[in-house]
Amino acid sequence: MNAVDLHRKLERNSGLLIFGILLVSAIGGLVQVLPSVLQDDLVTPGPSTAPYGPVELTGRDLYIREGCSTCHSQQVRPLLAEVKRYGPYSKAGESAYDRPFLWGSKRTGPDLHRIGGKYTDLWQRMHLLDPRSLVPDSIMPGYPWLAERAADADGSIQSKMRALRRLGHPYTDADIEAAPAALAGLREVDALVAYLQALRAPDREASP
Amino acid sequence: MPDALSFSVFPGLITQPMAVFRALSKNAPEGHRVFFQLILPLCLIPPVLAYVGGATFGWRLGGGEPLMMPARSLTLISLAYFFALIFGLVSSAAVSSWMAITYGAKRAFGTHLALAGMVAAPVILASAAHLAPHVFINMLILIPALIWSLYLLYRGLPEALGIPPERGMLMASALVGYLLVALVSLLGITVVLWSGGIGPAIGV
Amino acid sequence: MAGERYHDRVVAWLTAFAVAWSILGMLAGVYVAAELVWPTIDFGREWLSYGRLRTLHTNGVIFGFGVSALMGTAFYSVQRTCHVPLFAPRLAWFCALAWQVGVLAGGISLLAGWNGGKEYAELEWPFDIAIAVVWVCFAIVFFGTIGKRRIKPIYVSNWFYGGLIIVIAMLHIVNSLAMPVTLSKSYSLFAGAQDAIVQWWYGHNAVGFLLTGGFLGMLYYFLPKHAGRPIWSYRLSIVAFWAFTYSYIWAGPHHLHYNAVPEWVQSLGMVMSLVLLAPSWATLVNGVMTVAGAWEKLRTDPALKFIVLSLAFYGLATFEGPMMSIKSVNVVSHFTDWTIGHVHSGALGWNAMITFGAFYFLVPRLVGASLYSVRLANIHFWLALAGTMLYVLAMWGAGVSQGLLWLSLDEIGELSFSFKDIMASMAPYYALRFVAGLIFLSGALLMAFNLAMTGKGRRTVAASPPAAESSRS
Repeated sequence: MNAVDLHRKLERNSGLLIFGILLVSAIGGLVQVLPSVLQDDLVTPGPSTAPYGPVELTGRDLYIREGCSTCHSQQVRPLLAEVKRYGPYSKAGESAYDRPFLWGSKRTGPDLHRIGGKYTDLWQRMHLLDPRSLVPDSIMPGYPWLAERAADADGSIQSKMRALRRLGHPYTDADIEAAPAALAGLREVDALVAYLQALRAPDREASP
Repeated sequence: MPDALSFSVFPGLITQPMAVFRALSKNAPEGHRVFFQLILPLCLIPPVLAYVGGATFGWRLGGGEPLMMPARSLTLISLAYFFALIFGLVSSAAVSSWMAITYGAKRAFGTHLALAGMVAAPVILASAAHLAPHVFINMLILIPALIWSLYLLYRGLPEALGIPPERGMLMASALVGYLLVALVSLLGITVVLWSGGIGPAIGV
Repeated sequence: MAGERYHDRVVAWLTAFAVAWSILGMLAGVYVAAELVWPTIDFGREWLSYGRLRTLHTNGVIFGFGVSALMGTAFYSVQRTCHVPLFAPRLAWFCALAWQVGVLAGGISLLAGWNGGKEYAELEWPFDIAIAVVWVCFAIVFFGTIGKRRIKPIYVSNWFYGGLIIVIAMLHIVNSLAMPVTLSKSYSLFAGAQDAIVQWWYGHNAVGFLLTGGFLGMLYYFLPKHAGRPIWSYRLSIVAFWAFTYSYIWAGPHHLHYNAVPEWVQSLGMVMSLVLLAPSWATLVNGVMTVAGAWEKLRTDPALKFIVLSLAFYGLATFEGPMMSIKSVNVVSHFTDWTIGHVHSGALGWNAMITFGAFYFLVPRLVGASLYSVRLANIHFWLALAGTMLYVLAMWGAGVSQGLLWLSLDEIGELSFSFKDIMASMAPYYALRFVAGLIFLSGALLMAFNLAMTGKGRRTVAASPPAAESSRS
């Protein structure tokens, strides 16, 4: 039976057609995606990579809520000019606890993967609330509401940490117990600043 | 209408373009004559202007200081630009010739080449903007010229090739498809060449 | 069977919803484009903030406009290519209406900040579940209709719509796997580099099977209808479909060049993206040759113009994509506005234009009246073309400038420009893009008016399948 005859059978049998489409479209994923998902070292944390503490975690979730990934990447590529501009290039192990990953796909603003420590807490705070007060030409939106709300307004930090623990993040019971206290009295902007300051290059490893 | 295709058709392209195209359909200019009298002179204009603008003022891609490139780089870029234009016009004519049968427009290659040159003329002449070598100013001047060129393409092609306007619309759209692909390829090739060494250094 | 009627009212409603979402989604797009020029027009309000409005734009145009248009045209064409009314018409109504409720509620949730953090999959887990439920119903109606068909061979447009349904189901379910925390928050099952690979397997193929494959289904049905002649080459359509369905899936990693994923994954993604050019252009050739023979229709049918130009932009986008997947091009284009330009040459030039063409054909037939104004439709065409070209040119200019400037080094090997300065110099391109968006939106508004006036005061025409015969091969 040649190809055209085979196809005549396929197009007269909806079950075969459905199965054929599923099979053919699944192959790419099975070869490319499945091995990566099963490959543990892709999500093995780097030597200095630790799970996010409650304040940083809250800040990260705010980063996601406000859509920061839309304009900022967190992935320094192994290119000379990029390493000069941002710092050491990003490695897989550094994102082991990133759920979801926030590498981004667009740089309307600069990459943020090495932003931690480059500016003071005060600078970051002022910049988030009104970017143009520090960078007149900036087109970044301001986020004044972050200064008004409590960081853990809905009290979900413990549920969040428990959910992440179920997914494999090594939080202890003590960590989770202590979480609300760590967030007490903090505003959303404080948590977001803490997250941004945590985005640093890992300590120099033996091999890049 | 002058028999030889030359720059003397250009005023006509602005004042009475359809008459120019109709005249083209009556003649069947030889390909090599069109090439040397129309295409070659046309394609010299933008690279020369780009060189002059770049050498005198330096190119501004957008950031702070203008890029003052060494003469060697400017020459290489202008040469590449010249050959890209020649290739663009000749290949457009070749694609147009190849498509012609599908749209009932079988004509001599010279006709297609002359059509390509005349349609491109507004954009090529607007490259006078290269004397003010700021990318955005160039876009601002070249875009209206491009609109005029596209108008000439859609209205002029059926006249020049002697086919009904509807068939002309389809053929012109197919050519626009080719032009878009050629333009984006040019972007890609430019980027690949640039990261390979033609042009100022980039740190990949 | 005597007295059988096609179920076209659900098609008419889906068309109306699609048009409404196109306006709303594009309005959000124009607003965020304006925010990139005048950043203070969010007036300090969260729900106008760029980060939230942008997701409203993407979700509104893809899931609101795109899926409604696909669902409507799928229901219309599957009935007519199978010569049977829809299977489970009440389920079809449920799909149509539940989807609209979902998109609306989803849009509101996005403005409220419910965000899963993954592109084109921002809606949180309750919506993910709802999408899956409606999608299964969509599959049941579509494949159920095919199952009771009176014409034995399944027409090619149905393979593409079928591919849309099956593959999107697979992608959505896997990529949405997450651990819920609260109603509005969940954490993805995958992390880091694994999540990146899964996300772009999903993200690229959402483009592939929703925005490309589904709309190819639209093309393969409506183009021959417009043109009054069959598809130019049946064999080419077979090859194109299977090669397309096979290759597209592999292309995801071209979103991850020079990122922290294995080298082999990146290279495979690049190679298969290049391979993908062939089946994409096979369909292009099929379309161009089919319409070439139908040129006389252009005199009377404004809709055909849209389809013709959509083919040109389809050719551009399916060429540009593989080209940008080449690592040495991607090194400059990644993270820049060139990617945005590429997205919109496809979204505006291909998806929107072919849908407009289909709607100008479909609505008059649905209500049994001629189009209210051919002149307005022609004006719309030129506005759509101008808007698309201006958008693309502006983004090419911005993207290539950005990419090269970011990498630019001076004579002593230091960075030539600060990020801030490069950013500031993008302003004119962003202003041009805003104007382009306005132009495109104004054309769409003309269409909304035109179609509304065409359908005003009319009901859907009752159409029936041809008289039943014994199964034709």
